[in-house]
Amino acid sequence: MYVLDKSQLPSFLEAMAAGRTVFVPAEAGGMTRFVPWQAGIQLYWEENPVISPKELFFPQTQVLYGYRTLGQQLEILSRDEGNSPRVIFGLRPCDAAATGIMDDVFLTKGYEDSLYRSRRQNTLLVVLACRRPGPACFCTSFGLDPTRADNADLMLYDLGAEWGLEAVSPAGQDLLAKPAGPVERQAAAPEFAGDFPLEIKVDHLPSGLRPMFRHQVWDIMYQKCLGCGTCTYLCPVCHCFDIQSHNRGVQGYRYRCWDSCMFSDYTLMAGGANPRPTKKERVRNRFLHKLQFMPERYGKFGCVGCGRCVLKCPVNLDITQVANRLAEVVANA
Amino acid sequence: MPENPLLPMAGQIERIITETPDVKTFHVTFTGGKPFVPRPGQLAMVSLPAVGEGMFSISSQGEQHLEFSIKKAGMLTAALHEAETGQMVGVRGPYGNGFPLDLCRGKDLLFIGGGIGLAPLRSMIVYCLAHRSDFGHIQIIYGARSPADLVFKEEIFDRWPHEPDTEVNITVDVGDDNWQGHVGFVPAYLEELNPDPAGKVTVTCGPPIMIKFVLQALDKMRYAPENIVTTLEMRMKCGIGKCGRCNIGSSYVCLDGPVFTLAQLQNLPDEY
Repeated sequence: MYVLDKSQLPSFLEAMAAGRTVFVPAEAGGMTRFVPWQAGIQLYWEENPVISPKELFFPQTQVLYGYRTLGQQLEILSRDEGNSPRVIFGLRPCDAAATGIMDDVFLTKGYEDSLYRSRRQNTLLVVLACRRPGPACFCTSFGLDPTRADNADLMLYDLGAEWGLEAVSPAGQDLLAKPAGPVERQAAAPEFAGDFPLEIKVDHLPSGLRPMFRHQVWDIMYQKCLGCGTCTYLCPVCHCFDIQSHNRGVQGYRYRCWDSCMFSDYTLMAGGANPRPTKKERVRNRFLHKLQFMPERYGKFGCVGCGRCVLKCPVNLDITQVANRLAEVVANA
Repeated sequence: MPENPLLPMAGQIERIITETPDVKTFHVTFTGGKPFVPRPGQLAMVSLPAVGEGMFSISSQGEQHLEFSIKKAGMLTAALHEAETGQMVGVRGPYGNGFPLDLCRGKDLLFIGGGIGLAPLRSMIVYCLAHRSDFGHIQIIYGARSPADLVFKEEIFDRWPHEPDTEVNITVDVGDDNWQGHVGFVPAYLEELNPDPAGKVTVTCGPPIMIKFVLQALDKMRYAPENIVTTLEMRMKCGIGKCGRCNIGSSYVCLDGPVFTLAQLQNLPDEY
């Protein structure tokens, strides 16, 4: 393992940031999220940031193309974002796993989303091994290891006074070869300690849910949902987006922006039909999408147990309670 | 950088046919020829970028153009109905699976359409008539609310009935002073005509309430779910299975549909 005295981290990050943008966890605008590193920035290591790093690959709003219209004329103006190399430094294994799921969504099944790919392929992941579970964590329910990530380029370990670093990919190895870099030394990865506060029993998933679509359990489950969409915006796996126009006179641009399956107009068609007209259908779709439909389509759960939706839902509509209630119903059926 | 699949190309409306008071067919051409050759039943995104973008079935095509038959329903379609020839539009596609030609080849075909639902069926009917020897007997049962609401009038009255081994049965919900044809709903007319299911594939598209009762009638007439084909509608934004909203269970209508057999639909949640 390579080790670095914690006091040396700024100079290490400074060297890393030459020719790249390095995103680090920090407080910004009353939130914790990943922001571009700059000298003097105060890093935030206490918990997983509230805003997941998905916005770095899939921004909340993103221009798709520009256009000019004049009379009957139309000109489509493609835009090249020309992304520079990037590093996300200190994301957690759950968010790394979520990134892997987003890769499946945006890069497989017949179409590659070029805007996603141009950001993703230029980004290295430095994944911080967790040492203890956070207040609403349940990643292990989905078989994730909170101390490692398969798609990391570099693993980062909190060794107390030092940071430990272990290359997982050749590109991660290159990150260590900086003049101000860490030195190689015998050191052990820290032990993970503590019990997980939440758990989803996944034995019945996803196949046990197939007969549950019409079950009366949904008649109660959805009732406290406000339809605010906080869960979907904070979720590192939720990938739904809308496409809209911004017009300025004879020109404008089409952009995509995060959307939420919790919103009533999400599936509303121009003719007035809506296949998910009430909160019941929308709540059911959200939970089944994560626990049944994504496993059926991608072979992976659409949840990594990061707990953000559990912590921030204003009415405590907790996915672990929903999943475990469904498990009970399945078991008693 | 790979090509952005969400980027449309500019086309031009070359011809507009007023089908009914609220349906128009648009012929769209492109500099340098058609950007793609859709299979029957496939879809494309059509946009007036300043207004919006919507998914439409490609109701037919020519050597140089694509055809979209569009009912006025919302903001984009209202703007398209205001457009005049020469108007440029954005087009991207083709999307969706299209009709199952392999299932249909060598079989008798029964098309059952209602209202604007004939638009997707038309792409298949035109294909079958152009490859006539690949298919058996063709029967088309089509209905609309009134005689004025019948689309593709030239084809349904003057062309298709004269094609070899082809039968066209038209009905309207309510006739008018000049209407000499059948009056009644499509599902009832279907039961009255009672076409034999043997060796037959049926393809149906129309308003949800019509499809519901057509499926019940076909079941009563002992059509197998594997031989009943229909198309679904859902709101779509990306068309490439990323934006999330057109899912029915784990299937995406934009990618895995819009064409499904009844046997496939019976395995999906009935949320459409």
